[in-house]
Amino acid sequence: MTNPKTIGFPRMENEAGEKRVFLPEFIHYLVGLGAEVHIEEAYGARSGFSFEDYKLAHPDIYMCSREEAFQKDIVFILRSPTPEEMNLIKRGTTLVSMLHYPTRPNRVDSLTKLGIKAVSLDSIANDNNIRLVENMKAVAWNGLEAAFDWLEKSWPGLERPDKKPIQVLVIGTGMVGKHAIEAATKLGNIERNKEHIASNGPGAVAVSIGRNISHNATTMEELFRQTDILVDASQRRNISKPVVPNDWIAWLPEHAVVVDLAVDPYTLDAKPPVVRGIEGIPKGSLDQYTFPADDPKWDAQVPKSIPSKHRRTTVTCYSWPGVHPEACMRHYARQLEPLVYHLIKKGYDGISLTGDYFERAIYRGTLKAWLKGEADRSSKGPKQKGSE
Amino acid sequence: MTESITFGLARMHLEYGERRDFLPSLVADMENRGAQVLLEYGYGSGLGYTEDDYKKAAPNVRFVSHDEIYQQKNVLVLRCPANNELELLQPGTNLISMLHYPTRPQRVAKLKALGVESISLDSLKDDTGRRLIESLRAVAWNGLEVGFKVLHRTYPAPGLESSERAPIQATIIGVGAVGMHAVQAASRYGDLKLWQRLATSGAPGVQVTAIDYDLTGLEELMKELLARTDILVDATQRPEPSQIIIPNEWIGLMPEHAVLVDLSVDPYDCSTNPTEVKGIEGMPQGNLDQYVFMPDDIIYEHIPDCVSVKNRRHAVSCYSWPGIHPKQCMALYGAQIRPITRTLIELGGVQNVNPHGRYFERAIGRALLSNWEHTNSAEPTSKPEKEDKG
Repeated sequence: MTNPKTIGFPRMENEAGEKRVFLPEFIHYLVGLGAEVHIEEAYGARSGFSFEDYKLAHPDIYMCSREEAFQKDIVFILRSPTPEEMNLIKRGTTLVSMLHYPTRPNRVDSLTKLGIKAVSLDSIANDNNIRLVENMKAVAWNGLEAAFDWLEKSWPGLERPDKKPIQVLVIGTGMVGKHAIEAATKLGNIERNKEHIASNGPGAVAVSIGRNISHNATTMEELFRQTDILVDASQRRNISKPVVPNDWIAWLPEHAVVVDLAVDPYTLDAKPPVVRGIEGIPKGSLDQYTFPADDPKWDAQVPKSIPSKHRRTTVTCYSWPGVHPEACMRHYARQLEPLVYHLIKKGYDGISLTGDYFERAIYRGTLKAWLKGEADRSSKGPKQKGSE
Repeated sequence: MTESITFGLARMHLEYGERRDFLPSLVADMENRGAQVLLEYGYGSGLGYTEDDYKKAAPNVRFVSHDEIYQQKNVLVLRCPANNELELLQPGTNLISMLHYPTRPQRVAKLKALGVESISLDSLKDDTGRRLIESLRAVAWNGLEVGFKVLHRTYPAPGLESSERAPIQATIIGVGAVGMHAVQAASRYGDLKLWQRLATSGAPGVQVTAIDYDLTGLEELMKELLARTDILVDATQRPEPSQIIIPNEWIGLMPEHAVLVDLSVDPYDCSTNPTEVKGIEGMPQGNLDQYVFMPDDIIYEHIPDCVSVKNRRHAVSCYSWPGIHPKQCMALYGAQIRPITRTLIELGGVQNVNPHGRYFERAIGRALLSNWEHTNSAEPTSKPEKEDKG
C-alpha cells in the first residue's frame, strides 16, 4: 500500500430493476487497504442503503457526482459502462467491470483508444482456467425459482393434479446446466423444498439432455409432452439456429413454463445472425422477467420475422443473479477481496504473471493480457452467458 | 520471519493399486520457494518416475527411508498414514494429509495424544466454505468412465455404438456436489473421446434422469425408473447410513445388461446397531486393486450376511475413484496444494500461520488440528474408520 488510490463507484443505470451495488462491507475492506473511496450520490438507494451506511466511521469515504466517480484512479462498476459513460473515464484509469472481451470486440477497441486500463471480471481466471468471479449458480437457481414461483400459482404447494413429481427437462449439460439440475430437484428454493418434502410432497425429477438428443424431434416430442418446466441452458455451436423451433413449443402442456438461462439476443442484422435458443420467446430484464403467454409485450419483444405462434409462460432475464441483488453482491465481494488486494497494492502496471495465485488470476483479466494474447482465447476460455 | 523449512513426502502403502505420489513439478516449486524436500525411496515409481526425474526438476531433493520421512518437521502424504506410521511422528510435527476430522474422532484423539499439529487437506476451505483441495469431478467422471466401459460390453444388440439404438437411460440418485458432476459425466459417457466419436457417428446420446435423495422413498417412481435404466449411479450423501436407498429386490427389476455405479462408497458394517449399509443393497465395495465386479464375482461371498445379494448386475465401485487416473489426479492436487505449501514456506512453518491473516492463511487456519480442537466439540460419531476417498 505505498500510494493510497482513489476509487470511484458510479451507479448502474441500466434498468430500474437493477438494484445491485457493492455493499458497505466491501467498500470498508477497500478503505482498509489504504484506498480513498468516492461513491456516487444515491449509490445503493434502490437497495435501501444510505450514504451513512457506507460512511460509518470511515473518514476516507466521500460522496461525489456521477462524473467525479468516473474520474478516479480506479472505477468499479459491475456491468460495463455505456459508450457515453466510457467517455467520462480519464486516460490511464483502471476500470473494473464485466467487460466480456471475447464477445465485445468493439468495446475492446474503445477501451484501447481511450487508454483505459481495464480489468474484466469475467476474464479473471486461475491457473486451471477456472473463472474466479462468477455466479453461475445464481443464474440457474434464480431462473428455476422464478419458474416454480409461477407454477405454484396454478398448483398450490407445487402438487400436480396427479400427485406425481414435477417433470423438469434441462437442455444443456454445461456449468449452468449442472446447477439447473440441482436447482430443479430442489424446486428452485431450498427452504420451499424442505417444506414440500416435509409435507410429503412428491418433489421434482430432472431430466438432462445434450445436443446428441436435443436435435431428435421424435425423442423431443416424447419428452416435451410430459414436461412441466423446460430449461434452456444450452451453449450452441450454431447461434443462427434455435435448439427448440417454435413448432415444438406446441408439444408442451398448456401449463408448462419455459426457463431461459442462455439469454442470447435476437441480432438478426449480425453476420451470422443471432437467434434465441428457444425460438419465439421474449428477452427479459430485471424490470420484467416473467412473460405469461398472453403478455402483450411479447409481440414487441420478438422480431416479426421470428416464428412465435406457439407460446408458454416464459421466465427470462439478462441478469439472473441480479434478481437477489444483495446475495449476489455479497457473493461477488467474497470472490473479489483477495483479487483487489493486489490491484490496490501493486496497481494495474505492477501486476503480472510472476506474482502469487491471485495476482496471476487478476492479471489474466487485464486488457493488456488480452491484447498480448496471454489470456486463453480458445473455446476453453472461461465464458458463460447470463452471468453478470 | 522466514526460516528454512523441510518437508518429507511419504509414499502410500495402502493397496497395490495405489500408485499416486506428488509430481516432480510440485517438488520443484517447493524447492524453488526455498524448502528442503525429502522423498521416500521409490517415490513416484508407481507413476513411472525415477529419482532422476525428481532430481532434474529439483536438484537438491534427497531420497531417504520411510522412517526418516516421518522424522521431518512437515510430513506431506495424500491419504492418512496407518496408525503404526503415525506413531513415527515426533511431537510438534506438522502432518499434511486427508484426515477427515469430522468423521474420525479416534484419529483426532490419536494425533492429539502424539502431540502433533496437522493440516487436514479436506478441511482447507475458502471464506465461503468451499473446499480448496478436492477432486469430486474425478470421482464422478472416473466412476462413469468405468461404468460406461462395462455397459459397452453388456449392452445388447445393436450395441452401444449403433445409431439404431435408443438413447441410453442413466439415472443419478443424489444431486449434490458429486451428483452434479455425475450428470455431466453421464451425458458424455464418462469419456469425451467416446462422446465425440458417437456423436459423429450419429448414435443417440444419453438421457440423464436426476432425482434427489428425498424422492427415493417413492416406490412407484423408483421402480418405474429402474425398469428402464441402463446405468444407475449412487451419488448420495445419506444423512443416515443405515438407510438403504435401493433394496436388493429392486435390482431385480432392472434390465440384465444394466450397470450399477457406486460413487458414495460407504462401507457395510453389520456389527453396529443399526447396521450400516451401502445405498444400493448388495453393491460390492471396491478399491484401486479391483473396481469392476461381474455378477458372479467371488466378492459377493464376502459381503456380510445382513446384506441381501440375491439380485445382481454388473457393478463398479472404488473407494478412491480419483486414483484410477493417478497422474491426472496428482497434477490436480499438486496445483491445488501449491498455494498452501508456498504459504507455509513463505511463513517459515505452520506455527507462524495467522488464522485471521491472508486468504490462504485463513484457509490453513480452518484446517489446523489445533483449530479443530478449539472450534469443535469434536462430537464422536459412531462411524468406523474407513479409507480415505482422496
